[in-house]
Amino acid sequence: MTRKDWSRLEGLINADINVVAIGNSPSAVVNQLVAGGGRRAFDVINIVGGMQQPLVDADLILPIEVDRLSHWDANHYIADFLAPGTPGFDFIGYQDTVYGVPTVLQADSFAYLPDETGELDSLGALFDPRFRGFVALEDNYTTAGQKTALYLQQSGLADIDDPSNLTPGELRTVIDFLIEKKQEGQFRLLWSSFEQAVQLLVSKEVHVMDCWEPMVIVANQQGANVRYAQPSEGYLLWAMAAYIVNNPTRSEEQLEATYQMLDFMLGPWYGATITDMRGYMTNPLAADFARESDAFDQATAERVAAIDEDVKEKFEFGGTWQNRWPDEVDLYEEEWQRFKSA
Amino acid sequence: MPRQAARPVITRLLQRGLYGAPLAAVAALVVGPLAVMVMVSFWTRTGFSMTPDFSLAAYSTFLGSTRLDILFRSLWVAASATLIMLLIAYPAAFLIARRVRTDAVRTVLFLFAVPFLVNYVVRTFAWTEILGRSGWVNTMLLNLGVIGAPLDWLLYSQFSVYLGLITAYMPFMVFPIWLSLSAIDPRLEQASWMLGETPRQTFWRITLPLSLPGVFAAALFGFVGAFGEFAISTVLGGTGYQLLGNSVISALNVINYPLAAAISTFSVGVMGVLLLIWFRVFDLRLFLGKIMGRT
Amino acid sequence: MTRGVWLFLGAVLGVLYLPLIPPVLESFRAGDGFIANYIGIAANAVLMEGIRNTAVLGLTVAVITPLIALSVAQTLRAWGRARLILGLILLPLFVPGVSMGLATALVFQVIGLEASMVSMALVQILWALPFATLLLLTVMAGFDRAYLEAAHMLGAHPLRAFIDIELPQIWPGILGAGIFSLILSFNETIRTSIVQGGSNTVQTYLWSQYQQVGLTPPLYALMTLLIALTLVLVGLLAVLDRRLLARRQIDAADLDA
Repeated sequence: MTRKDWSRLEGLINADINVVAIGNSPSAVVNQLVAGGGRRAFDVINIVGGMQQPLVDADLILPIEVDRLSHWDANHYIADFLAPGTPGFDFIGYQDTVYGVPTVLQADSFAYLPDETGELDSLGALFDPRFRGFVALEDNYTTAGQKTALYLQQSGLADIDDPSNLTPGELRTVIDFLIEKKQEGQFRLLWSSFEQAVQLLVSKEVHVMDCWEPMVIVANQQGANVRYAQPSEGYLLWAMAAYIVNNPTRSEEQLEATYQMLDFMLGPWYGATITDMRGYMTNPLAADFARESDAFDQATAERVAAIDEDVKEKFEFGGTWQNRWPDEVDLYEEEWQRFKSA
Repeated sequence: MPRQAARPVITRLLQRGLYGAPLAAVAALVVGPLAVMVMVSFWTRTGFSMTPDFSLAAYSTFLGSTRLDILFRSLWVAASATLIMLLIAYPAAFLIARRVRTDAVRTVLFLFAVPFLVNYVVRTFAWTEILGRSGWVNTMLLNLGVIGAPLDWLLYSQFSVYLGLITAYMPFMVFPIWLSLSAIDPRLEQASWMLGETPRQTFWRITLPLSLPGVFAAALFGFVGAFGEFAISTVLGGTGYQLLGNSVISALNVINYPLAAAISTFSVGVMGVLLLIWFRVFDLRLFLGKIMGRT
Repeated sequence: MTRGVWLFLGAVLGVLYLPLIPPVLESFRAGDGFIANYIGIAANAVLMEGIRNTAVLGLTVAVITPLIALSVAQTLRAWGRARLILGLILLPLFVPGVSMGLATALVFQVIGLEASMVSMALVQILWALPFATLLLLTVMAGFDRAYLEAAHMLGAHPLRAFIDIELPQIWPGILGAGIFSLILSFNETIRTSIVQGGSNTVQTYLWSQYQQVGLTPPLYALMTLLIALTLVLVGLLAVLDRRLLARRQIDAADLDA
């Protein structure tokens, strides 16, 4: 995030915003907070949600007092998609308490180069022998693994109850399937960084790739022709959550500033900016604000509105909610290692 | 031989302090973390943190899984890569020490250091543009008509991993070898010629042995770099090429500190054993030269 | 110098320099164009802070590490417990970077050291130390203690003997250790990122950007600038060395005349 975004907030509150970039993985976050003394250094952590359980159990984040956020009630996405009791709630809450502020909502599928592959509309494309050697998966069992599980379930190739929380038996089936495909040479590689994924599409090193939508947007900006698929099996739904770090030395003043920042992130300007920058859906106020405010031109406002509509449709269509911390997470890690060393 | 003049107590204390204090501090900051790591490897994982314990659970998980194979593969890759790197770095260092004009030596050495200015992840990633299916090498070979279809094995393969490792760590190795070679008294080599040895014999009998301290340091630099690597295997390895670093990070990603600690402790243990064997088999004096005093 | 020498060295350097070309190309062709990318560096406050931190850390580590390494190497020689000290110094090299970084961070927590520039410097010094020490040992291996003994017999104070006799001989090693430490500090990413707290270095920033959002053209521009700057410095050094050698040859010729 560049400085220009935060100056607007800094004008509203009396604090400096310092952005430090860390990784998205659970270990990066926990390492920073536990080992690196990050508890005293950070106020807010904004990452893909679903991490509440380990963070709360390790006493690293605080519950959110939603009354202190003026934009909370207006955000009907929370009620629509992230209500308590629904799988969406797992992205911001734990044991009926809200811990995260949902800053982004998105539905994932996969990217493909229509010039090379034609129109694709099924997750099965990732495993289609026609594209052998030209497929890439993300090195992540909660995205690539879960999409595979969704595909196997929907296509009837495997008996899977819930793709977001596999039993040991189901997990083994999924991994065996992946290993079989790997040994047939189906996958060119497993990618693990944004830059790498974009390059793979732009250079046409692969033709079908499991990835996030922003990569498609950036690749197209660089002149490639990439499309994000609308698979018949459904999407991988997820949300980003901003957590408040449990900093014992924080003053009341700083806490207030933190809430103001979170409120800002739920606000229309932030929402519209993020939607424009990354192609993610943020909050309901964003599209209207973009249209009415001078800060955004006509084209951008239309883009924001279009993205919002697009994502809402995907949510309607459904799929499976990404599960960042499945019950059998240790087994997931072990099995994924088995896949990688095969 | 006249006895050393007695030195005042202050000087001796100062000397001991100068020698001892930094070493003690370093020892603490080396042994401390290592001790923590070993300790944690015996703790049990409870949910999302750990309890102090004395259990072998982490070790049995590690030893009973593919991770053990990954460890041995890392050892093999590191050792073979180091050997290849030595075969390149030694001639390079030799040429710089013996054949390059004196005023150009510093320049050439610095030229080896320039690539480090680019972030090593970016450098690693740059190889994908060079070795990819539509990369420079393939494009050139296709245009020249040498091949009919892009070569897949250039990238996301053993070849690319080794290439990445070698280009990342070989430059580290040129300097220590050069240092050793340039410190050899030229009169020793001249004496050897005068006694009738051919240049080749002089090299094997005089130059190479005297340069072993540098070779030892270089081999260590190269091996350590390759052994702990995780980025090169991720970026250039393809469908999940796993080295030791990847394995540890994977365990950390599920907040399994004891397992990560167990993997690390075990590999340090293996390295320690190898090092001990090395110390036993090879005379340390070969590597420490005159530091150990005269024979 | 024969052509063969140039060919071999040139080929090796050529391969080593190949991966430098894509980032340089990127800085020119991507984004808003050549000039804008370069100006973009200054506009990125987090990056500028990272550059500052990297410079400060680099200098600190480059100066302190050789000093400590010198002390350790001298101690090894004086106390003769070579295997023990050598093993102690080498051991941390074999621990995977992530584990060592985490364990060290935990130790810092225990002794109350906050995540800050100090902790980052300390982590980098600990990482560079084995390399620096080994380099010093390499150069000291060729240095005969007899010279020191001779100086002593002539009545010199040990410190005097060290400065006048040993230091000039091992100076290339010390300088090399300093530059090595600078390079290691500059490249260090994973250990530093664990104890960084609120501060970034160029490397930690690049690493996280690379992972999450991709690199922007100004970052490539920064790298290109660094390469260009260093090549210019190396070029200057080459010219300087040539002049020095020529001067020495003239002086020598004068003496003969």
